[in-house]
Amino acid sequence: MTARAVEASAPVGRETGTSFWSRAWQNHAPGYLFLLPWFIGFFGLTIGPILTSFYLSFTDFDLLTSPDWVGADNYIRMFTNDRNFAASMRVTLVFVVFSVPMKLAFALCIAMLLNRGMRGLPVYRALFYLPSLLGASVAIAILWRTIFARDGLVNDFLSIFGIAGPSWISNPRTSLWTLIILSVWQFGSPMIIFLAGLRQIPADMYEAASLDGASKWRQFWKITLPLLTPVVFFNAIIQTIEAFKSFTPAFIISSGQGGPINSTLFYTLYLYNEAFAFFRMGYASALAWFLLLLIACFTAFSFLTSRFWVHYDD
Amino acid sequence: MTFRVDRRQFLMGSTALLAAAGIARPTFAQAEALRLYWWGGQTRADRTIAVADLWAKAKNATVPTGEFGSFPDHWPKLATMVAGGNAPDVYQMDYRFIAEYANRKATQPLDEFVASGVLKLDDFDKDQIEGGRVNGELHGISLGANSVAAIYSQTAFDEVGIAAPKLGWSYEEVPEFAEAFLSKNIRGGMKFMSDGSSSEPALDNWIRQRGKPLYTPEGKLGPNADDITEWFAMWKGFLDKGYIPSAEDSALDVDTPETSMIATNKAAIIFSNSNQLVVHQSVNKDKLGMVNYPRISPSTGGGHYRKPSMFWSMAATSGQKELAADFISFFINDLEAGKILQVERGIPCAAAVRDVVAPLLDEQNQVSLNFVSSLGDLLGPLPASPPNAAGEIDQSLLDVLADEVAFGARTPEDAGKFFVEEATAILERAKSA
Repeated sequence: MTARAVEASAPVGRETGTSFWSRAWQNHAPGYLFLLPWFIGFFGLTIGPILTSFYLSFTDFDLLTSPDWVGADNYIRMFTNDRNFAASMRVTLVFVVFSVPMKLAFALCIAMLLNRGMRGLPVYRALFYLPSLLGASVAIAILWRTIFARDGLVNDFLSIFGIAGPSWISNPRTSLWTLIILSVWQFGSPMIIFLAGLRQIPADMYEAASLDGASKWRQFWKITLPLLTPVVFFNAIIQTIEAFKSFTPAFIISSGQGGPINSTLFYTLYLYNEAFAFFRMGYASALAWFLLLLIACFTAFSFLTSRFWVHYDD
Repeated sequence: MTFRVDRRQFLMGSTALLAAAGIARPTFAQAEALRLYWWGGQTRADRTIAVADLWAKAKNATVPTGEFGSFPDHWPKLATMVAGGNAPDVYQMDYRFIAEYANRKATQPLDEFVASGVLKLDDFDKDQIEGGRVNGELHGISLGANSVAAIYSQTAFDEVGIAAPKLGWSYEEVPEFAEAFLSKNIRGGMKFMSDGSSSEPALDNWIRQRGKPLYTPEGKLGPNADDITEWFAMWKGFLDKGYIPSAEDSALDVDTPETSMIATNKAAIIFSNSNQLVVHQSVNKDKLGMVNYPRISPSTGGGHYRKPSMFWSMAATSGQKELAADFISFFINDLEAGKILQVERGIPCAAAVRDVVAPLLDEQNQVSLNFVSSLGDLLGPLPASPPNAAGEIDQSLLDVLADEVAFGARTPEDAGKFFVEEATAILERAKSA
């Protein structure tokens, strides 16, 4: 209707040969106008800085003076002459490899417990989600210290059995594990998604299975898990990306240092220090692009292998 | 519905929007409010804002706007503002970073304002003026003098039943004090002293007593591998004998007053600064006192120096440099301003202000005021401002190596050699950048 009205009132556009574009424009202009704020934000605050950081990754930008082109030097240095890069990569990979499966398994367990039609479910769901809302705050840092310090809760418990534990959070051998536990403890969002997924599984399947005499255990492996694989897949991808990007827990708990002995020097923490503590914005940009590439490769790999284990219900 | 916008209307509309945004800008620039930026707590903010109001009233100028944050947050934010071309007109600067900013031409040399008489430094301490110079140019005006200082809990020493270290004490006395703490075993195993091996000021002080600077005026590393090995070996010795807290306990100290070894009852002496006595006292029930960093032996000295605790620097991009210089001059010279600021940033550097402030101070602030002048032969000359990469060497090398030695992952010999190699490489890289 609008298009017709425009054609009638603006025949000039047609004669100059721009009819398609001008019509498209006239049809959608209000839409684009409404989208304008988002476009400005997207190009100005997202795409622009991303492209700029790509350019900066080939420079020696130090925040205070204008950048000079250094070619691929930053990338070469990363792999040939930077011990901390290797150390932070190792810390991050250990964190990803252990925290993601543990978190998913834990979230699934809780989701299954909550999926038994108990009373007061919304309350429990909210309670279990609570830790995720706390995120990584100063309060959490203090809480974690009180739990994992030498005279903390964990060692109080262990002392019942006569074990004198170390100060878990400040021992380089165990400090990363306290952060992995922190991540597992914040299992709220995968739990909610698992819970939704479990609700989708038709109850008659379980009925049929139990009539055939399948145990609960067998039902889990043969019905629940296969039908849940799309949800597992989704959660695994999201949580892995989150784990790679994990920054605040280590930043808050080790006060930005990644200590003791770099044992909690997450990749992003190292990147942040390079950029803002040591003023090497160019090098930090290169680090950021490598992280992006790594996450992209990992995600692509997950998608390629997914057809071997993810069952879509059709 | 016949809502239509053709291209021309759309362009006109959006041009109008942009134009409106463009018109709005100059009005901001015309308001002559200076922008101030500093780090520190609420007390400092209250005092700084009060002085800014006082200045505005006296000079009939627009009241400056102020922003402040914590010390670690100050630097990323300041660097980002400088990079974005909207640096605050006047910002607080640290001795550690002044060369970095001055060399990158982010700060305005202030000599011209001193010459023109806008910035008055007539009765200003000469050594504090020198402390603000980089390559001969004045880049910062000291807001207070201070020195490193060991802060101790008098209460803890009373509990052990021994006297606290006296001014001029040395590392040779550590065993005697520490054994007393071990035999009394107060507060669940409080040790005599915190582990100073990762403290850059403690290392700096110790190296200076050996007649070397930590960094030479040319920006090279002063100590050699043997020096650093001996440093780590000394602390490892204290650790093995139980004179200082375990590596795990020390790692819980993240450089905030609340996590200090005194606050957590792990050690009775910590390595700190003379102007921080007040901050530490505010989070501790114990009565605190202040003494020198230990001498190496009863005869060595010169490790301490009077250092500018912090500066006001001016942005090279400031559009109101005359005004900013006038503000800085008022801040350091005006007697009423001095009465408000007192010694919160360190000892005032203008003699007239010092005279006005001294009678106003309580007992503990009197200690702060007199500490530096009481140091005598412990005091040496101010070293050259540290090179660009000093912060990185402190954080990513000294801290890590000290931890590695304490946790037994590296021997002192190995750490000494590694420190010198890596620090040299870091300095080299920073120089070529």
